[in-house]
Amino acid sequence: MFITKKHISRRTVLKASGASLALPFLDAMVPAATALAQTAAVPKMRAAFFYLPHGAIMYNTSHGPAMDKWTPSGSGADFKLSPILASLEPYKKYVSSFGNLENAATAGSVHTFTPATWLSATRPDSGGPRAHMATTLDQVMAKVISQDTPLPSLELASETIVQSAAGGGGNYTTLSFRDAESPLPMEYNPRKVFLQLFGEGDTPQERASISHETNSILDLMLDRTKKLQGELGSSDRAALDGYLESVREIERRTQKAASKSLGDLKIPDAPVGPLEDFDAQVKLMFDLLALAFQADLTRVATYIMVAEGTNRTYNHIGVPDAFHPVSHHANDIERINKLVKIQTWHVEKFTELVKKMAETPDGQGTLLDHSIFMYGSNMSNSDLHNNYPEPNIVVGGGCGKMKLLGQHIVLPERTPIANLHLTLLQKVGLERDKFGDSTGTIAGV
Amino acid sequence: MKRALVPAALLILFAVPALLDTKAQTPPKSQSVAASAANLERYRGMLDDYCVTCHSTALKTGGIAFDALDLQKAADNADIWEKALRKLRGRLMPPPGNPQPEQKDIDSFIAWMESNLDSHAKGPKAGYVPIQRLNRTEYAASVKALVGVDVNTKEILPQDIQVGGFDNIAAALSVSPAFLDQYITAARQVAKIAVGSSNPRVSNVKYSVAANQNNDYPLPPGTRGGVRFKHNFPADGEYRINILNLSVGLYTGSMENESTVVILLDDKIVFRKPIGGPADLELAERKGPAGRDEIMKRFAKIPVQVHAGVHDVAVAFIDRSHVESDENVANPAGFNGLTGTTAVADRMARLVDGIEILGPYNPTGVSQTASRALIFICDPQNQAQNQAQNQTKTAGEQTCAKQIAENLARRAFRRPITADDLAQLMPFYVAGRESGGSFDQGIEQIIAAVLASPEFLFRSIRGTAIVKPVGTSPNSDFPLTDLELASRLSFFLWNTPPDDELLKLAAAGEFAKPGVPGNKEMDKQVRRMLADPKASSLVTSFAMKWLNIADLDAVQPNPMLFPEFNEQLRRDFSTEAEDFLSSILLEDHSVLDLLAANYTFLNERLARHYGISGVVGNQFRKVALTQNDTEKERWGILGKGAVLLRTSYGDRTSPVLRGKWVLDSLMGTPPSPPPPDVATNLDEKAGEAPKTIRARLEQHREKAICMQCHGVIDPTGLPLENFDAIGQWRTTDRQANNAAIDASTVLPNGVPINGVVELRAQLASHPAQFVQAMTEKLTMYALNRELEYFDMPQVRAVVRAAAKDNYKFSSIVLGIVNTDAFRKQGAAPPPAPKQTGVSVAAK
Repeated sequence: MFITKKHISRRTVLKASGASLALPFLDAMVPAATALAQTAAVPKMRAAFFYLPHGAIMYNTSHGPAMDKWTPSGSGADFKLSPILASLEPYKKYVSSFGNLENAATAGSVHTFTPATWLSATRPDSGGPRAHMATTLDQVMAKVISQDTPLPSLELASETIVQSAAGGGGNYTTLSFRDAESPLPMEYNPRKVFLQLFGEGDTPQERASISHETNSILDLMLDRTKKLQGELGSSDRAALDGYLESVREIERRTQKAASKSLGDLKIPDAPVGPLEDFDAQVKLMFDLLALAFQADLTRVATYIMVAEGTNRTYNHIGVPDAFHPVSHHANDIERINKLVKIQTWHVEKFTELVKKMAETPDGQGTLLDHSIFMYGSNMSNSDLHNNYPEPNIVVGGGCGKMKLLGQHIVLPERTPIANLHLTLLQKVGLERDKFGDSTGTIAGV
Repeated sequence: MKRALVPAALLILFAVPALLDTKAQTPPKSQSVAASAANLERYRGMLDDYCVTCHSTALKTGGIAFDALDLQKAADNADIWEKALRKLRGRLMPPPGNPQPEQKDIDSFIAWMESNLDSHAKGPKAGYVPIQRLNRTEYAASVKALVGVDVNTKEILPQDIQVGGFDNIAAALSVSPAFLDQYITAARQVAKIAVGSSNPRVSNVKYSVAANQNNDYPLPPGTRGGVRFKHNFPADGEYRINILNLSVGLYTGSMENESTVVILLDDKIVFRKPIGGPADLELAERKGPAGRDEIMKRFAKIPVQVHAGVHDVAVAFIDRSHVESDENVANPAGFNGLTGTTAVADRMARLVDGIEILGPYNPTGVSQTASRALIFICDPQNQAQNQAQNQTKTAGEQTCAKQIAENLARRAFRRPITADDLAQLMPFYVAGRESGGSFDQGIEQIIAAVLASPEFLFRSIRGTAIVKPVGTSPNSDFPLTDLELASRLSFFLWNTPPDDELLKLAAAGEFAKPGVPGNKEMDKQVRRMLADPKASSLVTSFAMKWLNIADLDAVQPNPMLFPEFNEQLRRDFSTEAEDFLSSILLEDHSVLDLLAANYTFLNERLARHYGISGVVGNQFRKVALTQNDTEKERWGILGKGAVLLRTSYGDRTSPVLRGKWVLDSLMGTPPSPPPPDVATNLDEKAGEAPKTIRARLEQHREKAICMQCHGVIDPTGLPLENFDAIGQWRTTDRQANNAAIDASTVLPNGVPINGVVELRAQLASHPAQFVQAMTEKLTMYALNRELEYFDMPQVRAVVRAAAKDNYKFSSIVLGIVNTDAFRKQGAAPPPAPKQTGVSVAAK
């Protein structure tokens, strides 16, 4: 351990005023925070994707619709949230729920492809050790809406995604693919997330010197990599192309960060590392994400709230059982109730983020008005590992592009989840008529 | 199918020179390659009777039709036969429940087919290994070797993707901006620490007790309940230590008994003060918060004088006799200071938060550290004096800086340094030196630049051939150069770049002449490297991962069911496993000892957990295991807590996970994963009378589709049922009304056995199968790629050769480094078409 706590801290960022935030470890940060991009007349879209493994308790257990704890019903005044989603009640007009979604891309993979295909809707070619799938939805969006922020996107996890039940840490345990061959690592160490967001250095001089050093190192990397490429065979050259692209990406980020205006807001001490207390760990990750959106450090994020195939126990909400084994509920009521508890708790944590977004003014509205959050899973009944119907909702105003109605939309049977992806892509302003295995878009959202 | 069909007679002719070329050990003569017509007919008949039922041209189950394959030309379909052999060896096929051939017929077929494939091998000699990034373990080991800095990789680098349990598989080591960002940051920070600073700012580092629990770094003898870590002190000077919370809280029980807090610096006591006892109890009780503050003040800002560099720091309590307080006598579990769950711990002060180190105050400079000794190979002052008198100080510095850069870059880039390299590195020195910095700061910049260079971060194999035209790939295999072999060898055995000796030999071309396998110098180097402490990476990066016991954290025993489990025990499991593996691999014994060695490594806590008496104290030591029941069951890897915990769930054992583990890790015959859309839960329904796992599995196997795989998996795991989920011996199942444990089973090969001892004997009676399973994994680890069907003849040759040396670990390593697979680079596959968001229909 050689990174000191005070050493890498207190980088001043962004001006602030407005609603107050409660951030564990980040308390020092603010009397308040307001989104930074509010100067612009056109609000900037934020998009984030929240993934909970192992599906949800829906109508397809042996107990039928009576046991469905996920699916909401109705629309507008008649819109009724389900027990699992109940905490979203104050924000229900921002909620759209979708019935009958299917993701064929993960079918039959048990857990192995489940996280990665959620946002790709594309079957991976898993023949060899090299990853091969497709750019995921978040990354397609990042290329549109998050190119003028220091970080194009943020990939978060609550714990290691290396879990033996989910392919032992293979290529498809991440939610996010930058392109067909580049799975992005999901970071579960809040300290590293913090450094990604706020960088290093205590004083403006120190930051300037670090940024100067980084620039010369990047120049060296670019130069030497090109030289190295000249000596390599075609396939290794291609591999280094991805590396060069990454070097340029960092260069771009460094410039963005340097040109970012600094106000008088103090950034708190960096967190020390992953927290033992799972409840606090999940909360801290949500808080860091809130901070990133408020400070406009990025506009796109994915968060795998607990790892696919995890053996994590939930003693803090009275579930001493490990999540993955208990997710094989065998239609046993007691086990189903435990799963509902876990699923409800995660939605509650998500709701806290939604609340923060709703309380953060941004231009003419709030951050929630300018966000599209997708929350859900890429599995249906965890006891069977099946993929239809999948539980997914979208929350947020989408800069006026989403209907503020509150509704559960019953789609035609086996509607590809890619139709939802394509719909969201169009909401962020990308004209495309195909994503993954989409067959069209969803109307009335 | 690209391979041309060649008449069998021709094949045999060509096979002979091919064999000489690969230096593969000749397959056993007794297995006649040209099987008699009668034998061929017998094998054909066996395939027709037992396999073609499903794998026929008509059905093509799994895409395979054995009726269409010609046994005379088996080598033409080596890819299919290698798969079939694996299924047969593990008795995974024909699926249980279907008619089975006799074991002796299977053995005979396997022997014939293997020798046939080995002597007719016609696939490529080597596979292709793409350019690869150093993974985080290699990065840390390399930094340690180059500049002597310990890097906590989990803190600073992203997690690597694992393939088959290993995180060093080239094709999976991709790069994304998040990786790069962290590698750059790491380079800069490592450089700073390596050089040190004579006047650093005061910094504040906290070490938490909780984080320390994952540290496999035992407390000094005679102490208990503390934290221990290595801390980098950036300069000579005074540092202050704060002990953050000694459980002096509202509940004052912790002050009842006196104990003594000590701080040890490199095992020497530098601070010692008592806490607790009547006076402190009164302070805490009478004066409330003010009194508690008064107590804690004694443990704040403790000044210590330290020299720059990495030092071992421990903050703990002097262990004392537990009998001093009446209450403690009844607690056989003793102290559990970290988790603090026992009654004893509640009646004495404990560390509950962590400690902080602040400083340096009044730094007096940087004395020689291990890092500086590695980096500063010359002194700029002497340099000026040694050379012509008229040389200025600056010129002397320049010369010295160049030497330092050359020395560092050569080791980091794993090749001799060119003028061009230096021309690119020296401006970093100049920038650091001239922007008002010192000579040291110039060197710091060079280190950062070297560690961020692609030649350090990437390993590639290019051979000697100059690729023409530029940008194409050779379409046949070619030998690695001396330097490339040195790198491959060094990362294989040490996880580091080659050291000076290897580089020197390689640069001189002495070390491994291309095309001359079995070079004596190489064998000599392998033996030297295996004897070096750096070879311990073979235990941590290879063996622990091969056996899937590297991350024991993945299993969280339910504290309600297993109150006796704690984090220290988890750490003990790891220590035992690492010590045990080291004792065989690094002391170069037969790898068969992994199965059956009659000793292990224990401390008191672990010995008690295993029910073994006579081991006293916290320190691990080698313990001989007798033939007694409680000890015999702990022989070999099957009896180790690490394995038994890792193959369990938090609330119960899993014969399925254990069976799969044995089949995959020890036998090299992994079963297929469960098919989709089947219920896989075994847990009991509410209200049902509790049943043993064995009974629940039996119920599950009644379904034919489950039986197909579990008919092999379950019987292989059930003999371990006498070990509970945390590896304790049991004869009854307390989760099933204390039903007696039945560990009897009939193995897939038809042999009835009972319990772990007989399972071990069965595995040990097929030594070649176990050694081949291990050799396959070790070869994969060494080559940084997954094995292909065409590697199998080479793997089998390594195993056969090692048999002559009683399967000593070194004989396997030497076998591997002398294969073509290790010494050559295969042709690159055609580039994959770029895919952009196009969906592929579900299969």
